[in-house]
Amino acid sequence: MNIKQIAKKAGVSVATVSRVLNHPENVAPATRERIQKIIDQEEYTPNWFARGLNFNKTRTIGLVTPHTVGSCYMEIAGGVEEVARQKGYITFMCNMERDPDIEKEYINHLITRKVDGIILMYSSLSDEYMSWIREEKIPAVLIGENELRPDWDSVKADCRDGAVKMTAHLVECGHETIGMLCGNAPENEANSILQGYKNVMKASGKKLSSKNVYDVENSIEGGYIGAKRMISEFTSPGSDVPGDQLDAIFASSDEIAYGAMDAVKDCGLCIPDDIAIVGFGNYKMSNLMEPKLTTVEEPYRLMGIYGARILFDLIEEKEKNGEESTPKHIILKTKMRIRKSCGHKERIGEMF
Amino acid sequence: MLKTNFLGIELENPIVVAAGPWNRDGASIRASLDSGAGAVVTESIVSDTVMDVRPRIAADEMGAQNIRLYSDIQIEGWEREMRIAKAKGGVVIASISGHSPSELAYMASKMEKFGADGIELSVSNPAVESLEVVASDANTIYDMTKAVVSAVKIPVTVKLSQNTTNIAKVAKAVKAANGSGVTAINTVRGILGVDIESASPALFTYGGISGEYIRPLGLASVATIAQTVDIPICGVGGVSTGRHAVEYMMLGANVVQVGTSVITEGYGIIRKIVQELEVWAQNHNLKNISDIRGAALKNLKSFDEMKYEPSISTVNSTLCTENCSKCIDLCIYKAVTRTSGKISIDKGKCTGCGLCVSICPANKLKLGW
Repeated sequence: MNIKQIAKKAGVSVATVSRVLNHPENVAPATRERIQKIIDQEEYTPNWFARGLNFNKTRTIGLVTPHTVGSCYMEIAGGVEEVARQKGYITFMCNMERDPDIEKEYINHLITRKVDGIILMYSSLSDEYMSWIREEKIPAVLIGENELRPDWDSVKADCRDGAVKMTAHLVECGHETIGMLCGNAPENEANSILQGYKNVMKASGKKLSSKNVYDVENSIEGGYIGAKRMISEFTSPGSDVPGDQLDAIFASSDEIAYGAMDAVKDCGLCIPDDIAIVGFGNYKMSNLMEPKLTTVEEPYRLMGIYGARILFDLIEEKEKNGEESTPKHIILKTKMRIRKSCGHKERIGEMF
Repeated sequence: MLKTNFLGIELENPIVVAAGPWNRDGASIRASLDSGAGAVVTESIVSDTVMDVRPRIAADEMGAQNIRLYSDIQIEGWEREMRIAKAKGGVVIASISGHSPSELAYMASKMEKFGADGIELSVSNPAVESLEVVASDANTIYDMTKAVVSAVKIPVTVKLSQNTTNIAKVAKAVKAANGSGVTAINTVRGILGVDIESASPALFTYGGISGEYIRPLGLASVATIAQTVDIPICGVGGVSTGRHAVEYMMLGANVVQVGTSVITEGYGIIRKIVQELEVWAQNHNLKNISDIRGAALKNLKSFDEMKYEPSISTVNSTLCTENCSKCIDLCIYKAVTRTSGKISIDKGKCTGCGLCVSICPANKLKLGW
């Protein structure tokens, strides 16, 4: 069956069937469902390759992610796919395993496969590759803290602001000595968090030496080892209580915080009374930890949604051969999630 | 007679249906417009839809509490909904809610593209967001307004909150950022009540109170803004009659919004309010409803300007056969008496507080000297 026969059977114009296939969001839901049902019954499939040649587009986008483990990347990907699906696109997911060479390889593949757009998540791509994408005139958007690239459309969360608020909260809870376990990746994001932490520590006159900040692997294991080391560094000579000079640990990701919680418990200490622990990210598990983890919520899904929205805006602008708009930079807010692990005393803090 | 211009948009009348689930999609916005509204504000549109908690609305005879009422339609879907809403014309203002200036600017530019006639920034939700309501900070509101104003060509108004110590300062920030107007007020943080058998609050968390409860707060906020900054004002809070609309306008509102009463009385309340307003305007020979804007502000005085007149309640042996003894029972100074159906005041005891005048259902008492 061809598109004309589908249209006849549905009692609509060919244009309407075409809209259902190409711009389903522009068709009233009832009509769309009715036509889609006929398309399904008749097992009608448009020839995608022919369409690619016809419209000079493939209805595919590439999404390059740093890693497949790490729920935050998958949440971002979920947001991207939700918008892409609504637009009738499929998403090629390319996992670079935190290896810049693999990232370059994937860019190569995506360009030769003529994707309509590319989203780079926490990219470490060099200028050379970025300009290649531009030469090929493929719309692209950066998600997450990337190298400063003002001429590329981007979406990120304001992590520095989140870290400022969390550090200030720990100070307000009465903690004197606050250590930071800083993850190695994503690098730019960890740096922003570290900056925010340092700014507040200095401004509030807290001790800040090299002992306060440990670089760790961004994983549960990294958090465990880092916290163990930090606890032993902050133990007074001859003290029976490990980590007696340490009040709180700020982990640059929730996974690091999980490991740190494990380490504190293994040392026979109590969270938050002996050592308070807070994270960054607000992964789903954090609300199930014991005690529940206080953390900074990053709007991962929303970052994905906005990344895709901007990408499709760029793709549509390109289709219309329209004027190139100035690059958009969407900065999303983080949100404090105050729970039990930070040692705060006021229940009202948990309410909003 | 009721035609008015608000934010540079011509409205058939000054009754606007407020943001809320009664304007949740194209069809319901149509229903509001078909009920005679001068304009309609969409339910607040967010960057990403969230799962609705249940229950989320509670109401009593005085008003309602809601906890998080956001649109469950993604912004992409609003292209279709706006087309349905505006199929037969009518003014539709898009309410958008978000947390950062760039996010709001993006949403506003999309809604402008989809045909919105104006933008209302909803950044004063008293539930969920934070203990300090976002709209209590003038600097934040300035940044948000500025970002949105530079992203669109249509007018931008900001919905302000009573949960702030200085609403006038926030309104000034809107003006400084070239916002076209303000809407006052959003719901006020509250808890509607507690079930004392189960010790459960009305809803599971703090929410926004609307309806009768907040009309006096809305009136004061509108007056405060009108006395501070020259900016078009949309008054909102507890409007369910034409009289309420007149009160808001007399204190400085250009137009008024109706929300909670659409829940409690249905869409029909919109036409009823418009008709009451029309009758009132006819009875007062008004050519233009906007002529009454701010009429009551000149009678709003500072303590300094009030004269210390020796007025007392002036009732003297007035016949009152009402089956009511409020003036006698409530008089703090025990100055009111009734003998053989006649009300009298003890001039030695009356201090002219005015309580009996305001509560008398038969309007028999007044202050004078």
